[in-house]
Amino acid sequence: MAVSGFEGFEKRLELHFFPDDPAVLTGMGLRQLDFESLEQVLRAVQCTVVSAVGNHYFDAYVLSESSLFVYPTKIIIKTCGTTQLLKSIRPLLHYACHLGLTLCSCRYTRGSFIFPLAQPFPHTSFKEEVIYLEESLPSNLCYRKASVMPCKIPSHSWHVFTASDEAHLVITPHAPDVLYTLEICMTELDRVLARKFFKRPGDEKTGDTAGKEMTELTGIGHINPGSLICDFAFDPCGYSMNGIIDGDRYSTIHVTPEDGYSYASFEFVGSIYDDLDDVAQVLKKVVQVFRPATMSVSTTCTSHEVWTRVGGALEPLGMKCRSCTVDEFPAAGNVVFQTFTTRRKKIKVGANANSRDMRRADVCRPFRFILSYQKDKKTRKRKRDMEKAKAKRIKGFKWEKKLDVNREIIGSSKNLLD
Amino acid sequence: MSVEEGQVLGVHTVEAWNEHLQKGNESNKLIVVDFTASWCGPCRFIAPFLAELAKKLPQVTFLKVDVDELKSVAQDWAVEAMPTFMLLKEGKIVDKVVGAKKDELQQTIAKHLATA
Repeated sequence: MAVSGFEGFEKRLELHFFPDDPAVLTGMGLRQLDFESLEQVLRAVQCTVVSAVGNHYFDAYVLSESSLFVYPTKIIIKTCGTTQLLKSIRPLLHYACHLGLTLCSCRYTRGSFIFPLAQPFPHTSFKEEVIYLEESLPSNLCYRKASVMPCKIPSHSWHVFTASDEAHLVITPHAPDVLYTLEICMTELDRVLARKFFKRPGDEKTGDTAGKEMTELTGIGHINPGSLICDFAFDPCGYSMNGIIDGDRYSTIHVTPEDGYSYASFEFVGSIYDDLDDVAQVLKKVVQVFRPATMSVSTTCTSHEVWTRVGGALEPLGMKCRSCTVDEFPAAGNVVFQTFTTRRKKIKVGANANSRDMRRADVCRPFRFILSYQKDKKTRKRKRDMEKAKAKRIKGFKWEKKLDVNREIIGSSKNLLD
Repeated sequence: MSVEEGQVLGVHTVEAWNEHLQKGNESNKLIVVDFTASWCGPCRFIAPFLAELAKKLPQVTFLKVDVDELKSVAQDWAVEAMPTFMLLKEGKIVDKVVGAKKDELQQTIAKHLATA
Protein backbone atom coordinates (compact mmCIF):
# COMPACT_ATOMS: atom_id res chain seq x y z
CA MET A 1 0.00 0.00 0.00
CA ALA A 2 1.15 3.49 -0.74
CA VAL A 3 2.44 5.50 2.23
CA SER A 4 0.06 8.27 1.41
CA GLY A 5 -2.39 9.01 -1.35
CA PHE A 6 -5.82 10.37 -2.01
CA GLU A 7 -8.44 9.38 0.54
CA GLY A 8 -11.31 7.91 -1.43
CA PHE A 9 -13.54 7.01 1.52
CA GLU A 10 -16.20 9.67 1.87
CA LYS A 11 -17.86 11.22 4.86
CA ARG A 12 -21.60 11.57 4.40
CA LEU A 13 -23.95 13.92 6.20
CA GLU A 14 -27.72 13.94 5.83
CA LEU A 15 -29.79 16.64 7.52
CA HIS A 16 -33.58 16.82 7.65
CA PHE A 17 -35.48 19.98 8.49
CA PHE A 18 -39.05 20.88 9.25
CA PRO A 19 -40.66 24.22 8.49
CA ASP A 20 -41.71 26.53 11.29
CA ASP A 21 -44.66 27.42 9.07
CA PRO A 22 -46.24 24.41 7.29
CA ALA A 23 -46.79 26.52 4.17
CA VAL A 24 -43.03 26.36 3.58
CA LEU A 25 -43.37 22.62 2.96
CA THR A 26 -45.05 23.27 -0.34
CA GLY A 27 -42.39 25.83 -1.20
CA MET A 28 -38.78 25.40 -2.16
CA GLY A 29 -37.26 25.51 1.34
CA LEU A 30 -33.51 24.92 1.25
CA ARG A 31 -33.43 25.26 -2.52
CA GLN A 32 -33.94 28.98 -2.07
CA LEU A 33 -30.50 29.19 -0.49
CA ASP A 34 -28.57 31.66 -2.65
CA PHE A 35 -25.40 30.45 -4.25
CA GLU A 36 -23.16 32.67 -2.11
CA SER A 37 -24.49 31.00 1.05
CA LEU A 38 -23.97 27.57 -0.45
CA GLU A 39 -20.42 28.57 -1.39
CA GLN A 40 -19.84 29.69 2.19
CA VAL A 41 -20.92 26.27 3.45
CA LEU A 42 -18.69 24.51 0.93
CA ARG A 43 -15.78 26.79 1.76
CA ALA A 44 -16.03 25.64 5.39
CA VAL A 45 -15.82 22.05 4.12
CA GLN A 46 -13.06 23.01 1.66
CA CYS A 47 -14.56 22.07 -1.65
CA THR A 48 -16.27 23.78 -4.61
CA VAL A 49 -19.00 23.09 -7.16
CA VAL A 50 -17.79 21.78 -10.52
CA SER A 51 -21.12 21.08 -12.20
CA ALA A 52 -24.77 20.83 -11.27
CA VAL A 53 -28.28 20.05 -12.42
CA GLY A 54 -31.74 20.32 -10.88
CA ASN A 55 -35.31 19.28 -11.57
CA HIS A 56 -38.67 19.89 -9.95
CA TYR A 57 -37.72 17.82 -6.90
CA PHE A 58 -34.10 18.57 -6.02
CA ASP A 59 -30.71 20.00 -7.01
CA ALA A 60 -27.69 17.75 -7.53
CA TYR A 61 -24.17 19.19 -7.42
CA VAL A 62 -20.92 17.50 -8.38
CA LEU A 63 -18.24 18.86 -6.05
CA SER A 64 -14.47 19.03 -6.37
CA GLU A 65 -14.65 16.37 -3.62
CA SER A 66 -17.81 14.29 -4.23
CA SER A 67 -21.46 15.44 -4.14
CA LEU A 68 -24.21 17.60 -2.68
CA PHE A 69 -27.97 17.09 -2.95
CA VAL A 70 -30.44 19.77 -1.91
CA TYR A 71 -34.14 19.01 -1.42
CA PRO A 72 -36.66 21.50 0.03
CA THR A 73 -36.31 20.06 3.56
CA LYS A 74 -33.33 17.70 3.23
CA ILE A 75 -29.67 18.12 2.40
CA ILE A 76 -27.07 15.43 1.75
CA ILE A 77 -23.37 16.25 1.52
CA LYS A 78 -20.78 13.63 0.74
CA THR A 79 -17.12 14.59 0.61
CA CYS A 80 -13.88 12.65 0.25
CA GLY A 81 -10.19 13.45 0.64
CA THR A 82 -9.22 15.62 3.59
CA THR A 83 -12.34 17.78 3.58
CA GLN A 84 -13.85 18.93 6.87
CA LEU A 85 -17.43 17.92 6.23
CA LEU A 86 -18.77 18.42 9.74
CA LYS A 87 -17.83 22.08 9.59
CA SER A 88 -20.80 22.52 7.24
CA ILE A 89 -23.33 21.92 10.02
CA ARG A 90 -23.16 25.27 11.78
CA PRO A 91 -23.39 27.51 8.67
CA LEU A 92 -26.14 25.27 7.25
CA LEU A 93 -28.22 25.53 10.42
CA HIS A 94 -27.73 29.29 10.36
CA TYR A 95 -28.93 29.69 6.76
CA ALA A 96 -31.77 27.20 7.24
CA CYS A 97 -32.98 29.17 10.24
CA HIS A 98 -33.26 32.29 8.03
CA LEU A 99 -35.45 30.26 5.67
CA GLY A 100 -37.75 29.29 8.54
CA LEU A 101 -36.45 25.72 8.79
CA THR A 102 -35.46 23.85 11.94
CA LEU A 103 -33.27 20.76 12.04
CA CYS A 104 -35.13 17.61 13.09
CA SER A 105 -32.75 14.77 12.26
CA CYS A 106 -29.14 14.14 11.34
CA ARG A 107 -27.24 11.13 10.05
CA TYR A 108 -23.49 10.93 9.63
CA THR A 109 -21.83 7.85 8.13
CA ARG A 110 -18.44 6.85 6.83
CA GLY A 111 -16.24 3.83 6.26
CA SER A 112 -12.70 3.42 7.59
CA PHE A 113 -10.19 5.86 6.17
CA ILE A 114 -7.26 4.38 4.26
CA PHE A 115 -5.05 7.23 5.51
CA PRO A 116 -6.55 8.16 8.90
CA LEU A 117 -3.49 10.14 9.96
CA ALA A 118 -3.98 12.55 7.06
CA GLN A 119 -7.45 13.59 8.28
CA PRO A 120 -7.77 17.07 9.77
CA PHE A 121 -9.86 18.07 12.76
CA PRO A 122 -12.62 17.11 13.49
CA HIS A 123 -12.09 13.93 11.48
CA THR A 124 -9.01 12.69 13.31
CA SER A 125 -11.03 9.92 14.95
CA PHE A 126 -14.66 8.82 15.15
CA LYS A 127 -14.71 9.87 18.80
CA GLU A 128 -13.59 13.37 17.82
CA GLU A 129 -16.25 13.47 15.09
CA VAL A 130 -18.99 12.46 17.50
CA ILE A 131 -17.91 15.10 20.03
CA TYR A 132 -17.99 17.71 17.26
CA LEU A 133 -21.42 16.53 16.09
CA GLU A 134 -22.76 16.60 19.65
CA GLU A 135 -21.55 20.16 20.06
CA SER A 136 -22.86 21.35 16.69
CA LEU A 137 -26.36 19.93 16.93
CA PRO A 138 -29.20 21.75 18.70
CA SER A 139 -30.55 20.27 21.92
CA ASN A 140 -33.96 19.38 20.42
CA LEU A 141 -32.19 16.46 18.70
CA CYS A 142 -32.06 14.55 21.96
CA TYR A 143 -32.19 10.98 20.66
CA ARG A 144 -28.62 10.33 19.70
CA LYS A 145 -26.64 7.24 18.96
CA ALA A 146 -23.16 6.53 17.67
CA SER A 147 -21.90 3.13 16.71
CA VAL A 148 -19.00 1.50 14.92
CA MET A 149 -20.37 -1.53 13.09
CA PRO A 150 -17.60 -4.10 13.05
CA CYS A 151 -16.50 -6.29 10.20
CA LYS A 152 -14.16 -9.23 9.72
CA ILE A 153 -12.11 -7.08 7.39
CA PRO A 154 -10.81 -4.45 9.81
CA SER A 155 -10.25 -1.92 7.03
CA HIS A 156 -13.97 -1.78 6.26
CA SER A 157 -15.87 -1.07 9.47
CA TRP A 158 -18.83 1.28 9.28
CA HIS A 159 -19.24 4.39 11.43
CA VAL A 160 -22.74 5.69 12.08
CA PHE A 161 -24.03 8.62 14.10
CA THR A 162 -27.68 9.59 14.17
CA ALA A 163 -29.70 12.16 16.04
CA SER A 164 -33.37 12.95 15.99
CA ASP A 165 -35.93 15.05 17.79
CA GLU A 166 -38.94 13.54 19.50
CA ALA A 167 -41.36 13.99 16.61
CA HIS A 168 -39.18 12.49 13.87
CA LEU A 169 -38.06 9.23 15.38
CA VAL A 170 -38.04 6.35 12.96
CA ILE A 171 -39.37 3.41 14.90
CA THR A 172 -40.13 0.39 12.81
CA PRO A 173 -42.54 -0.84 11.78
CA HIS A 174 -45.04 1.81 12.85
CA ALA A 175 -43.66 4.58 10.68
CA PRO A 176 -42.13 2.83 7.70
CA ASP A 177 -40.15 5.11 5.46
CA VAL A 178 -40.52 3.91 1.89
CA LEU A 179 -37.07 5.10 0.88
CA TYR A 180 -33.91 3.14 1.48
CA THR A 181 -30.29 4.12 0.97
CA LEU A 182 -27.52 1.84 -0.24
CA GLU A 183 -23.98 3.02 0.46
CA ILE A 184 -21.35 0.87 -1.21
CA CYS A 185 -17.59 1.23 -0.71
CA MET A 186 -15.26 -0.72 -2.96
CA THR A 187 -11.50 -1.10 -2.67
CA GLU A 188 -8.78 -2.82 -4.73
CA LEU A 189 -10.52 -2.21 -8.02
CA ASP A 190 -9.60 -4.28 -11.06
CA ARG A 191 -6.53 -2.56 -12.48
CA VAL A 192 -7.60 -2.73 -16.10
CA LEU A 193 -11.04 -1.34 -15.32
CA ALA A 194 -9.59 1.36 -13.04
CA ARG A 195 -7.38 2.59 -15.87
CA LYS A 196 -10.50 3.77 -17.69
CA PHE A 197 -10.80 6.51 -15.08
CA PHE A 198 -7.53 8.13 -16.12
CA LYS A 199 -7.43 10.88 -18.73
CA ARG A 200 -5.04 10.06 -21.54
CA PRO A 201 -1.77 12.02 -21.41
CA GLY A 202 -2.03 15.12 -23.56
CA ASP A 203 -5.79 14.90 -23.56
CA GLU A 204 -7.10 18.44 -23.82
CA LYS A 205 -10.71 17.47 -23.14
CA THR A 206 -12.59 19.35 -20.44
CA GLY A 207 -13.76 17.61 -17.28
CA ASP A 208 -17.33 17.61 -18.63
CA THR A 209 -16.48 15.96 -21.94
CA ALA A 210 -14.00 13.46 -20.50
CA GLY A 211 -16.53 12.61 -17.78
CA LYS A 212 -19.21 11.93 -20.34
CA GLU A 213 -16.84 9.60 -22.20
CA MET A 214 -15.98 7.70 -19.03
CA THR A 215 -19.68 7.29 -18.20
CA GLU A 216 -20.17 5.58 -21.56
CA LEU A 217 -16.89 3.68 -21.76
CA THR A 218 -17.10 2.10 -18.30
CA GLY A 219 -20.74 1.05 -18.42
CA ILE A 220 -21.75 3.47 -15.64
CA GLY A 221 -24.34 4.92 -18.02
CA HIS A 222 -26.16 1.58 -18.05
CA ILE A 223 -26.40 1.06 -14.27
CA ASN A 224 -29.69 2.95 -13.94
CA PRO A 225 -31.06 3.13 -17.46
CA GLY A 226 -33.10 6.25 -18.09
CA SER A 227 -31.48 8.32 -15.37
CA LEU A 228 -30.18 11.80 -16.11
CA ILE A 229 -26.44 11.89 -15.47
CA CYS A 230 -24.25 14.82 -14.50
CA ASP A 231 -20.64 13.65 -14.69
CA PHE A 232 -17.13 15.02 -14.36
CA ALA A 233 -13.59 13.67 -14.91
CA PHE A 234 -10.75 15.09 -12.84
CA ASP A 235 -7.15 15.81 -13.83
CA PRO A 236 -5.18 13.58 -14.23
CA CYS A 237 -7.57 10.91 -12.94
CA GLY A 238 -10.71 10.36 -10.92
CA TYR A 239 -14.37 10.57 -11.73
CA SER A 240 -17.64 11.73 -10.16
CA MET A 241 -21.24 11.48 -11.26
CA ASN A 242 -24.72 12.22 -9.98
CA GLY A 243 -27.72 10.50 -11.51
CA ILE A 244 -31.32 11.69 -11.24
CA ILE A 245 -33.63 8.67 -11.12
CA ASP A 246 -37.43 8.81 -11.51
CA GLY A 247 -37.62 12.48 -10.66
CA ASP A 248 -36.98 12.60 -6.93
CA ARG A 249 -34.21 10.07 -6.29
CA TYR A 250 -30.51 10.04 -6.94
CA SER A 251 -27.52 7.80 -7.44
CA THR A 252 -23.92 8.90 -7.14
CA ILE A 253 -20.55 7.39 -8.01
CA HIS A 254 -17.04 8.56 -7.11
CA VAL A 255 -13.85 6.91 -8.25
CA THR A 256 -10.25 7.20 -7.08
CA PRO A 257 -8.50 4.88 -9.54
CA GLU A 258 -4.85 5.09 -8.44
CA ASP A 259 -3.24 1.75 -7.80
CA GLY A 260 -2.38 1.05 -4.17
CA TYR A 261 -5.39 2.94 -2.79
CA SER A 262 -7.99 2.52 -5.52
CA TYR A 263 -11.52 3.15 -4.33
CA ALA A 264 -14.99 3.56 -5.77
CA SER A 265 -18.26 4.35 -4.08
CA PHE A 266 -21.80 3.90 -5.25
CA GLU A 267 -24.78 5.34 -3.44
CA PHE A 268 -28.34 4.78 -4.46
CA VAL A 269 -31.70 5.82 -3.05
CA GLY A 270 -34.60 3.53 -3.88
CA SER A 271 -38.17 2.87 -2.83
CA ILE A 272 -39.23 -0.40 -1.22
CA TYR A 273 -42.28 -0.32 -3.49
CA ASP A 274 -40.09 -0.68 -6.57
CA ASP A 275 -39.37 -4.05 -8.09
CA LEU A 276 -36.59 -5.25 -5.79
CA ASP A 277 -35.15 -7.41 -8.57
CA ASP A 278 -34.01 -4.11 -10.03
CA VAL A 279 -31.79 -3.54 -6.98
CA ALA A 280 -30.10 -6.86 -7.65
CA GLN A 281 -29.54 -5.85 -11.28
CA VAL A 282 -28.09 -2.50 -10.23
CA LEU A 283 -25.69 -4.18 -7.76
CA LYS A 284 -24.54 -6.63 -10.42
CA LYS A 285 -23.79 -3.86 -12.87
CA VAL A 286 -21.86 -1.90 -10.25
CA VAL A 287 -19.65 -4.90 -9.49
CA GLN A 288 -19.04 -5.43 -13.19
CA VAL A 289 -17.93 -1.82 -13.67
CA PHE A 290 -15.25 -1.98 -10.93
CA ARG A 291 -14.58 -5.67 -10.09
CA PRO A 292 -13.41 -4.76 -6.56
CA ALA A 293 -11.58 -7.31 -4.40
CA THR A 294 -13.41 -6.00 -1.33
CA MET A 295 -16.73 -4.24 -1.02
CA SER A 296 -19.01 -3.20 1.80
CA VAL A 297 -22.72 -2.56 1.44
CA SER A 298 -24.58 -0.53 4.02
CA THR A 299 -28.36 -0.60 3.71
CA THR A 300 -30.38 1.96 5.63
CA CYS A 301 -34.04 1.08 5.61
CA THR A 302 -36.97 0.67 7.94
CA SER A 303 -37.82 -2.76 6.48
CA HIS A 304 -35.73 -5.87 5.87
CA GLU A 305 -36.78 -6.28 2.26
CA VAL A 306 -33.72 -4.78 0.68
CA TRP A 307 -30.59 -6.01 2.44
CA THR A 308 -31.62 -9.64 2.12
CA ARG A 309 -31.32 -9.23 -1.65
CA VAL A 310 -27.76 -7.98 -1.56
CA GLY A 311 -25.99 -11.31 -0.98
CA GLY A 312 -28.13 -13.07 -3.57
CA ALA A 313 -27.14 -10.49 -6.15
CA LEU A 314 -23.41 -10.49 -5.40
CA GLU A 315 -22.66 -14.17 -4.82
CA PRO A 316 -23.19 -15.32 -8.41
CA LEU A 317 -20.52 -12.77 -9.35
CA GLY A 318 -17.92 -14.48 -7.19
CA MET A 319 -18.27 -12.22 -4.16
CA LYS A 320 -18.39 -14.00 -0.81
CA CYS A 321 -20.19 -12.56 2.19
CA ARG A 322 -17.68 -12.20 5.03
CA SER A 323 -19.77 -10.48 7.65
CA CYS A 324 -23.18 -9.05 8.30
CA THR A 325 -24.13 -6.73 11.16
CA VAL A 326 -27.45 -5.11 12.01
CA ASP A 327 -28.01 -2.13 14.23
CA GLU A 328 -31.01 0.06 14.85
CA PHE A 329 -30.84 3.83 14.96
CA PRO A 330 -33.56 6.12 16.29
CA ALA A 331 -33.20 8.60 13.45
CA ALA A 332 -32.64 6.25 10.53
CA GLY A 333 -34.16 2.81 11.09
CA ASN A 334 -32.10 -0.32 10.56
CA VAL A 335 -28.60 -0.14 9.23
CA VAL A 336 -27.38 -3.46 7.86
CA PHE A 337 -23.69 -3.61 7.10
CA GLN A 338 -22.43 -6.43 4.90
CA THR A 339 -18.96 -7.03 3.55
CA PHE A 340 -17.91 -9.11 0.59
CA THR A 341 -14.62 -10.19 -0.92
CA THR A 342 -13.75 -12.03 -4.07
CA ARG A 343 -13.40 -15.77 -3.55
CA ARG A 344 -9.70 -15.76 -4.30
CA LYS A 345 -9.00 -13.15 -1.65
CA LYS A 346 -7.79 -14.50 1.68
CA ILE A 347 -8.68 -12.61 4.80
CA LYS A 348 -7.35 -12.80 8.29
CA VAL A 349 -10.21 -13.65 10.57
CA GLY A 350 -8.29 -13.49 13.82
CA ALA A 351 -6.43 -15.89 16.07
CA ASN A 352 -9.42 -17.97 17.11
CA ALA A 353 -10.76 -18.46 13.62
CA ASN A 354 -11.54 -22.01 12.66
CA SER A 355 -12.49 -23.65 9.43
CA ARG A 356 -16.10 -24.03 10.57
CA ASP A 357 -16.50 -20.27 10.76
CA MET A 358 -15.15 -19.90 7.30
CA ARG A 359 -17.58 -22.47 5.96
CA ARG A 360 -20.46 -20.67 7.56
CA ALA A 361 -19.40 -17.43 5.95
CA ASP A 362 -19.28 -19.29 2.64
CA VAL A 363 -22.94 -20.19 2.74
CA CYS A 364 -23.99 -16.73 3.70
CA ARG A 365 -27.39 -16.48 2.16
CA PRO A 366 -28.71 -13.92 4.62
CA PHE A 367 -31.32 -16.14 6.30
CA ARG A 368 -29.08 -19.14 6.61
CA PHE A 369 -26.40 -16.87 7.89
CA ILE A 370 -28.60 -15.65 10.69
CA LEU A 371 -29.62 -19.16 11.66
CA SER A 372 -26.05 -20.34 11.80
CA TYR A 373 -25.19 -17.18 13.64
CA GLN A 374 -27.70 -17.98 16.33
CA LYS A 375 -26.42 -21.51 16.73
CA ASP A 376 -22.78 -20.68 16.66
CA LYS A 377 -22.00 -19.52 20.16
CA LYS A 378 -18.32 -19.14 19.40
CA THR A 379 -18.99 -16.63 16.69
CA ARG A 380 -21.37 -14.77 18.94
CA LYS A 381 -18.86 -14.63 21.70
CA ARG A 382 -16.22 -13.33 19.36
CA LYS A 383 -18.57 -10.64 18.14
CA ARG A 384 -19.35 -9.63 21.71
CA ASP A 385 -15.66 -9.49 22.50
CA MET A 386 -15.03 -7.34 19.46
CA GLU A 387 -17.74 -4.94 20.50
CA LYS A 388 -16.48 -4.86 24.07
CA ALA A 389 -13.01 -4.09 22.80
CA LYS A 390 -14.43 -1.32 20.65
CA ALA A 391 -16.46 0.03 23.56
CA LYS A 392 -13.34 0.02 25.68
CA ARG A 393 -11.48 2.04 23.14
CA ILE A 394 -14.11 4.71 23.23
CA LYS A 395 -14.57 4.42 26.96
CA GLY A 396 -15.77 7.38 28.88
CA PHE A 397 -17.98 8.52 26.06
CA LYS A 398 -21.71 8.79 26.33
CA TRP A 399 -23.04 7.06 23.25
CA GLU A 400 -26.75 7.05 23.83
CA LYS A 401 -28.88 9.52 25.63
CA LYS A 402 -32.40 8.29 25.97
CA LEU A 403 -33.13 5.36 23.74
CA ASP A 404 -31.61 1.99 24.09
CA VAL A 405 -32.11 0.40 20.74
CA ASN A 406 -28.72 -1.19 20.38
CA ARG A 407 -29.58 -4.70 19.37
CA GLU A 408 -27.43 -7.31 17.80
CA ILE A 409 -28.26 -9.28 14.73
CA ILE A 410 -29.89 -11.95 16.87
CA GLY A 411 -32.46 -9.52 18.21
CA SER A 412 -33.35 -8.15 14.80
CA SER A 413 -33.31 -11.52 13.13
CA LYS A 414 -36.18 -12.62 15.31
CA ASN A 415 -38.45 -10.15 13.58
CA LEU A 416 -37.36 -11.58 10.29
CA LEU A 417 -38.08 -15.15 11.14
CA ASP A 418 -41.35 -14.71 13.00
CA MET B 1 -24.20 47.26 -30.78
CA SER B 2 -27.94 47.21 -30.10
CA VAL B 3 -29.39 47.01 -26.61
CA GLU B 4 -30.10 43.33 -27.07
CA GLU B 5 -26.50 42.41 -27.71
CA GLY B 6 -24.11 41.49 -24.96
CA GLN B 7 -26.71 40.43 -22.44
CA VAL B 8 -29.04 37.58 -21.59
CA LEU B 9 -32.58 38.56 -22.57
CA GLY B 10 -35.45 37.41 -20.41
CA VAL B 11 -38.41 36.16 -22.44
CA HIS B 12 -41.63 36.60 -20.48
CA THR B 13 -44.46 35.97 -22.95
CA VAL B 14 -45.19 33.37 -25.60
CA GLU B 15 -45.55 36.19 -28.13
CA ALA B 16 -42.07 37.52 -27.34
CA TRP B 17 -40.74 33.97 -27.57
CA ASN B 18 -42.23 33.42 -31.01
CA GLU B 19 -40.92 36.78 -32.11
CA HIS B 20 -37.37 35.88 -31.07
CA LEU B 21 -37.57 32.53 -32.85
CA GLN B 22 -38.84 34.27 -35.99
CA LYS B 23 -35.99 36.77 -35.82
CA GLY B 24 -33.51 33.92 -35.41
CA ASN B 25 -34.95 32.14 -38.44
CA GLU B 26 -34.34 35.13 -40.60
CA SER B 27 -30.94 36.24 -39.31
CA ASN B 28 -29.07 32.91 -39.29
CA LYS B 29 -27.73 33.93 -35.89
CA LEU B 30 -26.91 31.33 -33.22
CA ILE B 31 -29.43 31.44 -30.40
CA VAL B 32 -28.71 30.00 -26.96
CA VAL B 33 -31.83 29.50 -24.84
CA ASP B 34 -31.37 29.03 -21.10
CA PHE B 35 -34.36 27.19 -19.62
CA THR B 36 -34.22 28.15 -16.00
CA ALA B 37 -36.30 28.31 -12.82
CA SER B 38 -36.26 30.71 -9.89
CA TRP B 39 -36.00 27.83 -7.41
CA CYS B 40 -33.18 26.01 -9.20
CA GLY B 41 -29.84 26.30 -7.38
CA PRO B 42 -27.70 25.12 -10.33
CA CYS B 43 -29.29 27.89 -12.45
CA ARG B 44 -28.09 30.48 -9.92
CA PHE B 45 -24.67 28.83 -9.99
CA ILE B 46 -24.26 29.31 -13.75
CA ALA B 47 -26.08 32.65 -14.21
CA PRO B 48 -22.97 34.86 -13.72
CA PHE B 49 -21.01 32.69 -16.17
CA LEU B 50 -23.78 32.95 -18.75
CA ALA B 51 -23.83 36.74 -18.39
CA GLU B 52 -20.06 36.76 -18.99
CA LEU B 53 -20.47 34.63 -22.12
CA ALA B 54 -23.17 36.96 -23.42
CA LYS B 55 -20.83 39.93 -22.94
CA LYS B 56 -17.99 38.14 -24.71
CA LEU B 57 -20.11 36.86 -27.61
CA PRO B 58 -22.31 39.68 -28.96
CA GLN B 59 -22.75 37.69 -32.18
CA VAL B 60 -24.86 35.14 -30.25
CA THR B 61 -28.38 35.82 -28.98
CA PHE B 62 -28.80 34.65 -25.37
CA LEU B 63 -32.39 34.12 -24.21
CA LYS B 64 -33.65 33.13 -20.79
CA VAL B 65 -36.94 31.30 -20.33
CA ASP B 66 -38.39 30.67 -16.87
CA VAL B 67 -40.06 27.25 -17.05
CA ASP B 68 -42.80 28.33 -14.63
CA GLU B 69 -43.51 31.55 -16.48
CA LEU B 70 -43.61 29.93 -19.94
CA LYS B 71 -44.84 26.48 -18.98
CA SER B 72 -46.17 25.66 -22.43
CA VAL B 73 -42.83 26.47 -24.09
CA ALA B 74 -40.91 24.34 -21.59
CA GLN B 75 -43.35 21.49 -22.15
CA ASP B 76 -43.17 21.76 -25.94
CA TRP B 77 -39.40 21.65 -25.76
CA ALA B 78 -39.45 18.72 -23.31
CA VAL B 79 -37.39 20.48 -20.65
CA GLU B 80 -37.14 18.26 -17.57
CA ALA B 81 -33.91 19.33 -15.93
CA MET B 82 -32.63 22.78 -15.15
CA PRO B 83 -30.71 24.50 -16.49
CA THR B 84 -31.15 23.19 -20.05
CA PHE B 85 -29.41 25.10 -22.80
CA MET B 86 -30.80 24.73 -26.33
CA LEU B 87 -28.70 25.94 -29.22
CA LEU B 88 -30.80 27.02 -32.21
CA LYS B 89 -29.89 27.90 -35.71
CA GLU B 90 -32.42 28.76 -38.40
CA GLY B 91 -35.22 27.52 -36.18
CA LYS B 92 -33.66 24.13 -35.60
CA ILE B 93 -32.14 22.69 -32.41
CA VAL B 94 -28.51 22.07 -33.29
CA ASP B 95 -27.30 21.09 -29.82
CA LYS B 96 -28.30 20.80 -26.20
CA VAL B 97 -26.44 21.06 -22.89
CA VAL B 98 -28.26 19.73 -19.83
CA GLY B 99 -26.96 20.96 -16.49
CA ALA B 100 -24.77 23.78 -15.28
CA LYS B 101 -21.58 22.67 -17.01
CA LYS B 102 -19.45 25.71 -17.75
CA ASP B 103 -16.82 24.15 -19.97
CA GLU B 104 -19.23 22.05 -21.97
CA LEU B 105 -21.50 25.03 -22.58
CA GLN B 106 -18.65 27.25 -23.71
CA GLN B 107 -17.22 24.59 -26.01
CA THR B 108 -20.57 23.70 -27.51
CA ILE B 109 -21.25 27.35 -28.33
CA ALA B 110 -17.74 27.74 -29.78
CA LYS B 111 -18.27 24.65 -31.94
CA HIS B 112 -21.43 26.06 -33.51
CA LEU B 113 -19.92 29.50 -33.96
CA ALA B 114 -17.02 27.94 -35.84
CA THR B 115 -19.33 26.15 -38.25
CA ALA B 116 -21.41 29.28 -38.85
